[in-house]
Amino acid sequence: MAKLKRDKPGPFEYSRKFSLRFSFFLASVFLYAPIIVLVVFSFNNSRRGGNVIWKGFTTKYYEKAFHNDALIEAFTNTLTIAFISTIFAVILGALTAVVLWRFRFPFKPVFEGMVAMPIVIPEICMGVSLAVFFSQFGLYVPAGTPYPFNLTNIILAHITFSFPFAAMIIRTRLNNFNREMEEAAKDLGATEFQVFRDILVPHMKPGLIAGALLSFTLSLDDFVITFFTSGPDTVTFPIKVYSMVRFSVTPEINAASTILILITLLVTAVAMKFQTFEESH
Amino acid sequence: MAPTPIISVHDVCKYYGNFTALEGISFDIKPGEIFVLLGPSGCGKSTLLRIIAGLETESKGDVVIDGTDMLGIPANKRPVNMVFQSYAVFPHMSVEANVAYGLKLERLPKAEIKAKVAEALEQVHLSQFSHRMPDQLSGGQRQRVALARALVKRPQVLLLDEPLSALDAKLRDAMRLELVKLQESVGVSFVMVTHDQSEAMAMADRIAVLKDGKLRQLDSPTALYKNPCDQFVADFIGRINMFDVSSHTRNGDAVQFDTKTLGTVTLPASLMPANTRNLAIAVRPERVRVGLEQPAAEMIAVTGTLGDVAFQGDSSLVEIILDGERSITALATEAQAETLMALEIGTQVYANWQPKDMLVLPENASE
Repeated sequence: MAKLKRDKPGPFEYSRKFSLRFSFFLASVFLYAPIIVLVVFSFNNSRRGGNVIWKGFTTKYYEKAFHNDALIEAFTNTLTIAFISTIFAVILGALTAVVLWRFRFPFKPVFEGMVAMPIVIPEICMGVSLAVFFSQFGLYVPAGTPYPFNLTNIILAHITFSFPFAAMIIRTRLNNFNREMEEAAKDLGATEFQVFRDILVPHMKPGLIAGALLSFTLSLDDFVITFFTSGPDTVTFPIKVYSMVRFSVTPEINAASTILILITLLVTAVAMKFQTFEESH
Repeated sequence: MAPTPIISVHDVCKYYGNFTALEGISFDIKPGEIFVLLGPSGCGKSTLLRIIAGLETESKGDVVIDGTDMLGIPANKRPVNMVFQSYAVFPHMSVEANVAYGLKLERLPKAEIKAKVAEALEQVHLSQFSHRMPDQLSGGQRQRVALARALVKRPQVLLLDEPLSALDAKLRDAMRLELVKLQESVGVSFVMVTHDQSEAMAMADRIAVLKDGKLRQLDSPTALYKNPCDQFVADFIGRINMFDVSSHTRNGDAVQFDTKTLGTVTLPASLMPANTRNLAIAVRPERVRVGLEQPAAEMIAVTGTLGDVAFQGDSSLVEIILDGERSITALATEAQAETLMALEIGTQVYANWQPKDMLVLPENASE
């Protein structure tokens, strides 16, 4: 009996098709190569970060970054803003999502469109409009306000642009909620609030986590809107990096960016772990 | 005197805009019976169940449960519990937590909850699965969770919305019996919605047949089968051969019916229904005998050719083709079917039955 030899990929064996493998390779290279280069060159013993010649391994730029008080302050500001704005964005987003999913009311499409507006509006417009809004209404927090209240304007701006994303994600999650579940809980004696707390929130949980992650990362690396709403004594990490780059690109920036990447990965990993833990219990 | 009804539905109507989902539904449910709401999809049976549960509000009429008018009482305060079509088992809670949920809401002491949950799980044979999550259960097991979750609340009445429709055929048959046994052991009334007439026949003490939001007939399964009130009920419950009557004339104790298929048929006047609009005469397949010889003169007979014989094990469905488009179905016993199957398709046969086995049915008894 002749052995069946299959050198041509079958109809659904996409992973064996050269064209697909090649495009996957290209996508990976363009996505990840810059990041890998950034991380690798944070350990380069060279005075300039843009220098692509490997001059030996060192961790001195990490030390340097950790001793750069201005950079650390910007870093702390960024994390504080991301943390606080995420909490509010998720709460607002969840409530918005529930309203849009649960109720019918006049002008609902208008409301829905307005909620989604910050997603489509160019960031630069939003930055300008928020800056104008804060100054026109005298809402700018005066200089010298103690931390973390000096960040109020940036936090407000971040909540404004990130909560629609959270709302969208949570809304999508709600779409596959089985309404009989809600009725079953009521039938067993639950009040509206108990249904919300015991049935709806647990169902929304993956959406809440995903929404929080997205809000967090959006806030973490936002430059444009932050630039317009920050004052001279409220510098965030992206703005600090930008101003440092204008002088010179040093491996210190690479090091700081690597730490930011690590934090982002860590947060994502914790969230994913948390989610799989939920699923298996 | 009849026992006081546990649920009394009086003249319930439900309108959605111009659409009438339910109209003038009235019935009483006795304590400890299995009451089935039966009808084709869209007949309003589920809406009626949801009105009893309080998940939907009636446009008109009253629902009285255990002597209390339920008007304005929300679902979470009614002494009934429901098993949903999708079971609606909470996916983020274990089997035990699902069953305990309703008791936790009552703020019962923990030890009491634990004992009651264990007892309920025992009742539905799920004790060894108490720590499983719903996604680790089969469809049948999830249904048991839904059952235990509702029964643990000790409702006056258990409402079941198409409880068996999501199960496969074999399991469905087993669950029919099990539900009946469970009902006997817990003693509460079951109100069950189904579109499956065989399920209704097998389980119910009484069946309410609904059609287009109206109650057509309410009776025991045997009474519905033997004395259907109209053509819809007769056709919906079991199989039947129906022959449209073009005109009828009464001659003392007998009535002559003119039909296209059977010609003129004379039946005793005692078979006449009160309502005589658009009559049809009908006969159940098991009353029809199929023979090769001319039957006796007192039988109602029709000549046709032998069609398909559908083997069903203990009996067979025999098709007798009359004139190409119309046919009669007969139910043959095992022995009869064997003789018939030996014949060639197309052989001339006589379908015949006794006049007393015929039913005279109006199109709609309530019109």
